[in-house]
Amino acid sequence: MDRVHRVLLPAIAGAACALAACSGDAGGGLAVQVGRARCGEGWGSARAGARTLLVHNGDSAPVDVTVVDPSRGTVFAELEGVGPGTTRPLRVGLGAGTYAIGCRPADGAAVTGPRVRVSGPGGGARGVRPLTRNDLDPAVRVYRARIVAGLGTLVRRTDALRDAVRSGDLDAARDAWLPAHLAYARLGAAYGAFGDRGDAIDGRPAGLPDGVRDPGFRGFHRVERGLWHGASAASLRGPADRLAADVRALRDGFPRAQIDAGDLGLRAHEILEDALRFELTGATDQGSGTTLATVAANVDGTRMVLAPLRPLLADRLPELPSIDAGLACASRLLRAQYRHGRWTPLDRLGTVERERLNGAIGELVERLASVATVATVRRTP
Amino acid sequence: MTAAAGPGRRTFLRGALAAGVAGTVGRATPAPASRFHGVHQAGILDAPRPRAMLAAFDVIAATRAELTDLFRAVTGRARALTGGGAPPEVGVAGPPPDSGVLGPDVPAGGLTVTAAVGASLFDDRFGLASLRPARLTRMRTFPNDDLDPSWCHGDLLLGFAAPDEDTVLHALRDVCRHTRGAMQVRWRIGGFTSRPRPAGASRNLMGFKDGVANPDVTRAAVRDRLVWAARDGSEPGWTAGGTYQVVRLIRMLVEFWDRIALTEQERIFGRARDTGAPLDGTHETDVPRYSADPIGEVIPLTSHIRLANPRVPETEDSRVLRRAWNYDRGTDGAGNLDMGLLFTCFQQDPKRQFEAVQERLKDEPLTDYISPFGGGYFFALPGVVNASDHLGRALLA
Repeated sequence: MDRVHRVLLPAIAGAACALAACSGDAGGGLAVQVGRARCGEGWGSARAGARTLLVHNGDSAPVDVTVVDPSRGTVFAELEGVGPGTTRPLRVGLGAGTYAIGCRPADGAAVTGPRVRVSGPGGGARGVRPLTRNDLDPAVRVYRARIVAGLGTLVRRTDALRDAVRSGDLDAARDAWLPAHLAYARLGAAYGAFGDRGDAIDGRPAGLPDGVRDPGFRGFHRVERGLWHGASAASLRGPADRLAADVRALRDGFPRAQIDAGDLGLRAHEILEDALRFELTGATDQGSGTTLATVAANVDGTRMVLAPLRPLLADRLPELPSIDAGLACASRLLRAQYRHGRWTPLDRLGTVERERLNGAIGELVERLASVATVATVRRTP
Repeated sequence: MTAAAGPGRRTFLRGALAAGVAGTVGRATPAPASRFHGVHQAGILDAPRPRAMLAAFDVIAATRAELTDLFRAVTGRARALTGGGAPPEVGVAGPPPDSGVLGPDVPAGGLTVTAAVGASLFDDRFGLASLRPARLTRMRTFPNDDLDPSWCHGDLLLGFAAPDEDTVLHALRDVCRHTRGAMQVRWRIGGFTSRPRPAGASRNLMGFKDGVANPDVTRAAVRDRLVWAARDGSEPGWTAGGTYQVVRLIRMLVEFWDRIALTEQERIFGRARDTGAPLDGTHETDVPRYSADPIGEVIPLTSHIRLANPRVPETEDSRVLRRAWNYDRGTDGAGNLDMGLLFTCFQQDPKRQFEAVQERLKDEPLTDYISPFGGGYFFALPGVVNASDHLGRALLA
């Protein structure tokens, strides 16, 4: 019966509003008003289990809608930006307890609707205590300080790389390349965290019409390409100078850069999503064969994001111990590929080692994905 | 992979936590009757569904306990997927637990999930060596093979089959999502069966009707003699209800094939291309009368159907239950289309059955036009009998 209602949802939305008011929670779609004036109207009681609320915004401004436990403030479901005059389904898993609808109009203060008793044997979603910008600010400050320190290391090491190239000692330059690159990889600059500057420093030749020969190909991988493909010191001087300058500009500009409070949670899984997509596929390597070192640095970078979030996640994320176990496992597998001062190149990994690593990182990102949904900024009603 | 104690041990089971929610919310509405539970697994006796995916996995779980968790997880997902129903609502505690590919209320979609284990699972990793099914070996290399190791073998084989491709891919994604830390895809290949053209058995990509003559598994005696694991004491007890599954990934050199005369094509198979009838018959179901054609003037002695199944009492015991799909996977370096047959068969004894047939087919004329490049030997596990049972329970007990 549920199914029939849901399939017909758009067509009967209007009718359902009228019907549901008298039929109570029939388990199909129950019409609930959201908005400043009538927040939560239409929802009186419910049986536990999976329910669909047809939230209707009769006001003139968009509304963010949540289903909350009004005494504890935990959030069970949310819908952002329900437009004026629109009806949208909000699916929620309700265990026995007391709930309310939270409405936050874009143009005004939040309102909490009437309390709703839910009873019955069904189980529900896990409520999450929302995090506000204020809650996350201390974590952002700690993270920012660590990035600042990391940028200092990065500048020093990139200067050393530049100096080695300038001196014409390419053995020394090859030795200096990895520490500098790892200093960057540890910053966890996944998915545009450092904007265009990040692409200049660590971009791949993808998207450039002439690939590795494109004048736009720059940064660590441009220098790597030359160092491991027999380029002359003279030809690498420009790219190494430019890299050092880009890194310096990143450091100098960073104090003015914004880190959004919600970015921390996103970065917690995006760093390793990035590693899975670009590193473990071999897409970034330009000859140094140090991909696994980069992944190990990405794991460190993930830890660096999680550390300041930890106090906030402790009672919000039951997966935290398994995330820690997963990080430890990934580190262990990666460290085993560093022998006698050398990292195993990705393509020399045996099938089993490769699969274990893919599995460990793959499993980790599955779990880390919840960090992002839990540690996002929520404005509580 | 992780410490043996605490939540870490099950770290790969992403679903383990969510399962608690699923177990409650997901069952708020009664699930439609599922064919998942039974003494035998689904997807064996069933006629091939139109779409299939065979995925071979390498198990990366480190301990027997983790392996057991993996089998539980696969069972749990297979049960949920084949039963259908709304996925659990996790709210803001995580991303949506379902990909949404099949819409909000996941339909069962006629899906079957069939799990089989390879000989490599019985190596020294999990202490299972003494429990290896007596007739389970690593797939041999046959004289006409051109095997690519990366397309062969595997610890675990999952077969997904359904009327629709989205159902199959949804299931594959779901299972992988819940088991990443415990197994990794070694190889996988999708296949399809063609609708009857114009009637009868479906055609392979050489244009011939395929799988016309299968043993009649509606008869229990046939199943017990040809399909299900032997119950004469020669097999470990846990194998009861299981069956051996042979997989052969066979490329068909379709361009070459298309350039040879129809008469030659028909003499290679022993059947007429248009009707599917044996060359001495009229209808595809006609039984060839080899005794009336002892020197192969009508149906050549080297034809595929005659070698595969000579229809004499001595070879009756070597018949297999054939379940095949066509595949299509791109283009080779010479510009030829890479397509062919995803051949699988179920049997009681791969040596007595599949290998005997294969040996009779050695150097048959058809081998010039096909090239087996992958596959493996597996043992399809006994069925999951009820909600508290799981795949491989008797093996891992």
